Amino acid sequence: MKNPLNRRLTRELKGELSKYLVILILLIATIGFVSGFLVADGSMLTAYNESFEKYNIEDGHFSVVKQMNKAQKKNIESLGITLYDLFYVEEPLTTNESTLRIFANRKEINKVCLMEGSMPEKTDEIAIDRMYADNNRLKVGDVIASTDHSWRVTGLVALSDYSALFSDNNDSMFDAIKFGVAIVAEKGFAQLDQSKMTWQYAWKYNQSPKNDIEEKEMSDDLMSDINSTIVLDSYTPRYLNQAINFTGEDMGSDRGMMIVLLYMVIVIMAFVFSVTISNTISKEANVIGTLRASGYTRSELVRHYMMVPIFVTLIGAGIGNILGYTVLKDVCAGMYYGSYSLPTYVTLWNSEAFVLTTVVPVIMMAVITFAVLSYKLTLSPLKFLRRDLSRRKQKHALPLSVHIPFFNRFRIRVILQNLSNYLVLFVGILFANMLLLFGLGLPVVLDHYKATIADNMLANYQYLLQMPVGTVDEDHKLESMLNMMMFSRSVETDNSDAEKFSAYSLKMQQNATKTEEVLLYGIEPDSQYIHLDLQPKDVYISSAYADKYLLQPGDTITLKETYEDKSYNLTVTGIYEYEGALDVFMSREALNDMFDLGSDYFCGYFSNSEITDIDSKYIGSVIDIDDMTRISRQLEQSMGSMMYMVDGFAMLIFIVLMYLLSKIIIEKNAQSISMSKILGYTNSEISRLYIVSTLVMVVVCILISMPIVYEGLVYIFRWMLINSMSGWIPIYLGKSIYVKMFIMGVVSYGVVALLEYRRIQKIPMDTALKNVE
Amino acid sequence: MFLEINQIRKSYGSGESRVEVLKGIDLYVEQGEFCVLLGPSGSGKSTLLNIIGGIDQADSGDICIRGERMADMKEKKLTLYRRKHLGYIFQMYNLIPNLTVRENVEVGAYLSEKPLDVDELLHTLGLYDHRNKLPNQLSGGQQQRTAIGRAIVKNPDILLCDEPTGALDYNTSKEILKLIEKVNQKYGNTVIMVTHNDAIKDMADRVVRLRDGMIRKNYLNEQKLSADALDW
Repeated sequence: MKNPLNRRLTRELKGELSKYLVILILLIATIGFVSGFLVADGSMLTAYNESFEKYNIEDGHFSVVKQMNKAQKKNIESLGITLYDLFYVEEPLTTNESTLRIFANRKEINKVCLMEGSMPEKTDEIAIDRMYADNNRLKVGDVIASTDHSWRVTGLVALSDYSALFSDNNDSMFDAIKFGVAIVAEKGFAQLDQSKMTWQYAWKYNQSPKNDIEEKEMSDDLMSDINSTIVLDSYTPRYLNQAINFTGEDMGSDRGMMIVLLYMVIVIMAFVFSVTISNTISKEANVIGTLRASGYTRSELVRHYMMVPIFVTLIGAGIGNILGYTVLKDVCAGMYYGSYSLPTYVTLWNSEAFVLTTVVPVIMMAVITFAVLSYKLTLSPLKFLRRDLSRRKQKHALPLSVHIPFFNRFRIRVILQNLSNYLVLFVGILFANMLLLFGLGLPVVLDHYKATIADNMLANYQYLLQMPVGTVDEDHKLESMLNMMMFSRSVETDNSDAEKFSAYSLKMQQNATKTEEVLLYGIEPDSQYIHLDLQPKDVYISSAYADKYLLQPGDTITLKETYEDKSYNLTVTGIYEYEGALDVFMSREALNDMFDLGSDYFCGYFSNSEITDIDSKYIGSVIDIDDMTRISRQLEQSMGSMMYMVDGFAMLIFIVLMYLLSKIIIEKNAQSISMSKILGYTNSEISRLYIVSTLVMVVVCILISMPIVYEGLVYIFRWMLINSMSGWIPIYLGKSIYVKMFIMGVVSYGVVALLEYRRIQKIPMDTALKNVE
Repeated sequence: MFLEINQIRKSYGSGESRVEVLKGIDLYVEQGEFCVLLGPSGSGKSTLLNIIGGIDQADSGDICIRGERMADMKEKKLTLYRRKHLGYIFQMYNLIPNLTVRENVEVGAYLSEKPLDVDELLHTLGLYDHRNKLPNQLSGGQQQRTAIGRAIVKNPDILLCDEPTGALDYNTSKEILKLIEKVNQKYGNTVIMVTHNDAIKDMADRVVRLRDGMIRKNYLNEQKLSADALDW
């Protein structure tokens, strides 16, 4: 015979429909979103991983200043690689003030995924990157133009070697608004200005490396071998290529965060169920006592009371997964397509996602509710029959002064009575506030960065000079010296604002495979731009550098040569207030000496006014405000819309938790409320007692949670910036964000309080007459 | 007349399952009178008490207290009516479990503009030494005394008692009855007590006996005994 108690399941669900409905909504929202995310992430990650083979992605690329001749190519190919031309021209567009890197159609290496339209055939046709098109509101059929050319967009494409649109591998962040890639037909490519050509070659190893370590070793060897044949302008093995790898790494880290988010919600919900179950056990104490006295075992009752939470979780997981695989998968995929230029993908059944979003939540719910129920039901049947569920012999009341107004004492008693509920509420608020602070905080951090970076620039213009190839060549020292002299003469300026600096780029090794570029500046004595009195041995680091790696004066930093296995240990003398980049400031003399650059060596100018008397061919790049704000611009673009979802989700958690726990508190006190009504208390007086108590606790929980979530957010943000991107954004949140969070929390409770007021109104007076203590 | 009850009718359910609980009750109670409603289970005595207390509504009929018709009162006014005129004592004490003895009494005191002195009342009730205890630390008798304290601290016009000794042993029951008698005498409240204990009728001024929703007997007790003299 089936356990007759099971018949209560549907009645319990019907009787507590509103409670289970809100729990279900939260579970469906969380599981649905996470499931959708994992399915989209898994399917897209598979497509991304498969793209390496499908689109024959390079093992690396390098560029040289002049096109290589056949002999040079043959010489390099003899090192065990196959070379492919990957030339490009960069055209600044007049239509939207962005830069387009244009390649000829690739047929062998880094092949193109056509996502919409058709490939260009005529000279005035072009296929542009899909994400760049989205960000610049360009579509098939539009016409784009540079000063010399105009093209009709025939298609939208994804280039697998540019899934993240980094224009320079050393950039802190890619910029899919101001930079894009495009493909033209070979005829069209031939018409481009050859003087602007970047002679880039991609390579594939004839014998693929077996693992990351071997890949690194092979790439290091190859670099030094190529360097002995031809002077390299740039060298980027695949494992260091952010344009290829950033997407995969970011998708991996997002996945981890989503799973943590899911489990936190499940644990909070499990605790809400535990509190609910405890309340049910108190309400049904005499029933439980009778059943136990009649011979029902404890495990039968544990199983019985576990059924509803598990049933609700299963339903939530089922509906969540259906929504995840259908609607929400596209939402999540859309988020990735908004950030990365990914090829098309096919939705794949993700058994891991199913386990993580269905099996694990059900097991977690089962374990937590089982533990709580087993503990609660260890009391003797007699104790249940007497409704005496306290474990301590005598529960003493906390003495409260009679001078405290009666209503306040009453509220304190309500708070003390419901401490366990408020503890769960606190954990929930902590979690919701963490999400809320993240959602509200990221735009604030980015806005602050954008607003302050302009005032914080080293100079309005920072010119990095471009040395002609062969300027420094160990094998041709005399020639090098002459070249240097020529170069030095050509890059002199009469601009009185201009101040020379030398610079040297090194890399900081974060872990086995991840490095970050650090620029070392050699500064003139009494510099008008860098306000430091630099002594020969002084090494100052930018505040961004110190913030990111938690460095202090006295610490030693180890920096490595980019293309050599040589490292330098520098002891930090002080920190220079500069948030723009990870930089080191030394005296020019010391820097030139350290890298044997010659005492007169310099490679750029700081200037507050534009330098017009240096030939543009000697100017490699100008760092201005656009470059400095690239990181914030891209984060805003890729995460901006997601932040609203995070805010909304946080508010949902707020409201659901507050609703459930307030409901439990009101239900627990239903008899007292009913009795108060009989005595003549009005609904508003009763509400002032019970609702204000919870309001006080909500306010206290929000206030206590704020410093905790701030620390948590700083930790997460630091982790995110260290692991996902180069550079640094100072974490500034301002005060208004806390006011916003506070108001949002209190307003959420305001909504709940209205519902609770109605619940108090509905408690009938006969509750006190029917129930026995 | 202090309390007038005219032709009160009340039924529960509908159709074939309709049960008429009160079948036209007429009752008049003077101020300060100690009235006992007696009757077996299902006779309608608790229903009548709840209607007098404004926590249940009659289908028809009229109740007037000091000339105020309850039928004309809406929910808010009924709340004020209970607040102003009534004190309630139940068989199960219905104390607020998370408030101390003193605070439970203060729950009643808050409702009155001129409540009795709480500490003095606690002394009267013999609860002063227990004033900082929670209800679950008290015996049944002490809990019922607390409930009485809560009911009378606002010095109500009518004290409604629904089987106040129903859950208590003989000695404790007598103790509670003595206390109610003392309150009735000291503060002059009208007491309406529902009980199925026949012996209690001897301490009442008026005895009303109900059966099947009708008053079978209604008489003034001319040989009233003190609670102390009761025996059963």
